[in-house]
Amino acid sequence: MLQRVKRDTTGSVAALTPADEADLIERCRAHERAAHDELYHRFRRQVAGNLYRVLGDRGDLDDLVQEVFVIAFRGLERFRGDARLSTWLYRICVNVALGRIRTRKRKPPPIGVVDLDSAAIDPSLTDRPETPERSLERQRDRARVYAALETLAPKKRIVLYLHEIEGLDLKEIAYLVDSNPVTVRTRLFYARREFYDALVKQP
Amino acid sequence: MSHVKPHRWADALAGRIEPDEHAAMTTHAAGCARCTAARDRIAAGTGAMQSIKKDAPPDLGWDSIRARVHWDVSSARRSKPKIAEPGARRWLWLGAGGLAATTAAVASVIAFGGWHPFGGGGDAGGSPAPVASAAPASAVQPAASAAPAALVGVISRFSGEVMIDGIRRPDTFDHAVGPGALLATGDGRVDVQFGDASGLSLGPRSRLELRRFDAQSVELAVDGTVDVEVAPRSAGQRFVVVAGTQTIEVRGTQFRVRRDATGTHVACRHGLVAVRDASGEVSVGAAKEVDVRAGAAVHDARVAAMTQAELAELATATPVTTPAWSPAGGAATVELALEADAPRAVRVDGVELGDAPMRVRVTPGRHLVEARVVEAGGAGRFKRVEWVTVTADHPASVRVELAPPVPPPASAAADRRAQLLAGIDRARLERCVAPIARTGITDLYVQIEIGVDAAGSVSFLNLLDAGDLDAATASCVHDALAEVRFPAGGAASWHERISL
Repeated sequence: MLQRVKRDTTGSVAALTPADEADLIERCRAHERAAHDELYHRFRRQVAGNLYRVLGDRGDLDDLVQEVFVIAFRGLERFRGDARLSTWLYRICVNVALGRIRTRKRKPPPIGVVDLDSAAIDPSLTDRPETPERSLERQRDRARVYAALETLAPKKRIVLYLHEIEGLDLKEIAYLVDSNPVTVRTRLFYARREFYDALVKQP
Repeated sequence: MSHVKPHRWADALAGRIEPDEHAAMTTHAAGCARCTAARDRIAAGTGAMQSIKKDAPPDLGWDSIRARVHWDVSSARRSKPKIAEPGARRWLWLGAGGLAATTAAVASVIAFGGWHPFGGGGDAGGSPAPVASAAPASAVQPAASAAPAALVGVISRFSGEVMIDGIRRPDTFDHAVGPGALLATGDGRVDVQFGDASGLSLGPRSRLELRRFDAQSVELAVDGTVDVEVAPRSAGQRFVVVAGTQTIEVRGTQFRVRRDATGTHVACRHGLVAVRDASGEVSVGAAKEVDVRAGAAVHDARVAAMTQAELAELATATPVTTPAWSPAGGAATVELALEADAPRAVRVDGVELGDAPMRVRVTPGRHLVEARVVEAGGAGRFKRVEWVTVTADHPASVRVELAPPVPPPASAAADRRAQLLAGIDRARLERCVAPIARTGITDLYVQIEIGVDAAGSVSFLNLLDAGDLDAATASCVHDALAEVRFPAGGAASWHERISL
């Protein structure tokens, strides 16, 4: 039976308790289609958001979201439950994004209409009026951040993004990139130097 | 004070530096336009990063994406009658000539009581009705007077030697199987999907006969090992395994039945099965197994917990099923051929499939193909071969054989390697990495590729992996290694990991 996904008044999906999450996973493993639908509806925006933020543009975002869920559904049988489902999905996102970064031609992401649109729905901007000049400057700052990220090697870019933007600690990053904290620390050490050097040198 | 490194401004903004240093940096910036500009830029960038963290994703074609991952089966399909109407499907009645030859099969799998290949709603209530122990399979007949609709099994994966109806078919992958079909494997295996999330996998050196294979009853005769995964049944549906004198009643579950001269082995990965005979019954739950020795009674058998390794092995043997299953097979799935000159473990989209070469059904779209690279000690890990795109009208083939590098003559390589290690100026290397070592990072290394000719000249020296060294340090290390001198001797090229 198709189960309705609980939503709060803001339209976002209510968080799962660990027990609910275990039940959802078990039902997915039993190939309940409704469970697959629920998992997709619960996590699709989170997955898209993760990919969107780490890559900086929405090119091929549909395809990448598809890849993440295909991998997740097919790999759910082997999900050991050593992390929350959202974390596990985040890990898949990171791997898919890493593959995308490696394969695409290095170029600064397009900054323009898409980012302005996303800025328009940024709640922080609705709290106070913003002048056009300030808005433009903020977009330039974002463009510089992504341009600086583009100068990094893919692995360094991922760990820097996860640490500096997402605010994750070394252990969390190590899980997401399937590495160990010492390696992540080393990688982050150089990534931060290169990133902030590049950021300062941006025109 | 020298100019402040940009990342230190980031540390300062994050409150990760001591007050004294922060004060010194601020004082310096007050008289240095360059550092002031850098600080302002870092501050602006930090603010932008906070903004990025709050970014919501753009609206996408969510339904389209859902459809593309083939998990949105229409409500119309779900509401179809559980038992298909005669003629509503492509029926495939295969010749029954091979039936007589396999009547001595030692295990049989029977489904009856309205079981259907599309799974059910996950009914979890009530216990199944008792089943007459050791009931002959042929005694189980549907009540309906009309002939039940035959099922069609679609080959979803095969590798190695596989015979259908005693013939090694060139079109094995495209050959649907139905009632009366006889599958046999040599060193390979074959998977058959016969419903949504329902399938079986016949292991190596096994034989499987589809004695009955219709919407009301499935009767399989197995000699060897078969792994079965059955979607949760609907209310009133039953699924029973009969293995010799034992019957095994199951619900939606994944389990293995292995029957040979020593007896019957039943292992349950998830769900619950009950093993019965005239002597009694034992329940085998998830991650449990039971061995019933030949001639022994079930009540003497002990249910034991499976080890993690056994569970992992059972998981690996999960039959391949595609989410967009259709009796027509090719209508919704596409062939993906995984070619290899020698057996190589592969996985597609993170799911281990066993050893290539094999052919497997996949849904149209992009798929990640990986192959296991065996490392020292026999352990191995999967490495990406490529992303492959398959479309409904374009089957794909991927070669997963990764040609190993041709090793140089062992003696020459060993000699040259020893000469390299002995000739490295360690003191110089330490000077190269001294600035990094002072930060507390100690696990530094480089992976090099080096060639030395017969005259002792270094023909090439490449840093394949400089770890996370910055460019200047890597260059310093490269120069230090290039200074190693070799005497005349055998030509060799090899890879070397050098700890710094």
